[in-house]
Amino acid sequence: MATFSAAAAAATSSVTFASSLKPSLRNTVTSGITTSNLKMVTAGWTKKNFPSLKTNRFHVSCAAKPETVQKVCDIVRKQLALAADIELTPESKFSALGADSLDTVEIVMGLEEEFDISVEEESSQNITTVQEAADLIEKLVEKKTAA
Amino acid sequence: MGASSGPRLSGIQKQVLSLYREFLRVARSKSGEDHRQIESIVSAEFHRNSNEIDRKNFIYIEYLLRRGKKQLEQLKSPDIVGLSSLNVGSSQPKKT
Repeated sequence: MATFSAAAAAATSSVTFASSLKPSLRNTVTSGITTSNLKMVTAGWTKKNFPSLKTNRFHVSCAAKPETVQKVCDIVRKQLALAADIELTPESKFSALGADSLDTVEIVMGLEEEFDISVEEESSQNITTVQEAADLIEKLVEKKTAA
Repeated sequence: MGASSGPRLSGIQKQVLSLYREFLRVARSKSGEDHRQIESIVSAEFHRNSNEIDRKNFIYIEYLLRRGKKQLEQLKSPDIVGLSSLNVGSSQPKKT
């Protein structure tokens, strides 16, 4: 539901922008200003449209609850023995934090223990970021409670 | 998820990771102190081998996989609960 309204908002914003784009376009044509002006207008349009798209996607991928993400972050920190001053965001790649595939296995095992779930071999090898781990956990927890 | 994410792993890497998972799983079935000891020994062994052994040395890696599987079978037995020191011996063959 939230996604839909966000999409609608994006649509309306692009519509209003399109209408504001039109006069400026006509303006350039009639006044005969160089094409560089036109380029600037187009750039402004994509710029305007992009953030709304991005936030929309962010909404979808951020389905995992903040608590889950936080828990995952804590476990990753513990497993990799990261110093407190190392920044850990949901987008951080495990490999960028110095984890090899063995460490990833350890992280996944730690997560299994914490959330009382069992992650399949295949999907566990595909986890590369905190966000991916959190999303997968949410999915599995949901499946478990439903079953 | 899927194709875009995750490193491409070779078959033998997958086997090693799967064995590692199995070991950690078995370690979990043991109690308190033993659990942690087994985990640290197994972890140290895998990490040491992953650093020391050339990734192209398939024959040796396959040998270690077979050996690991046998050790895993032994460890799986409930009788082994208190014998985690057995693993210490096998992970440091030079000392014996």
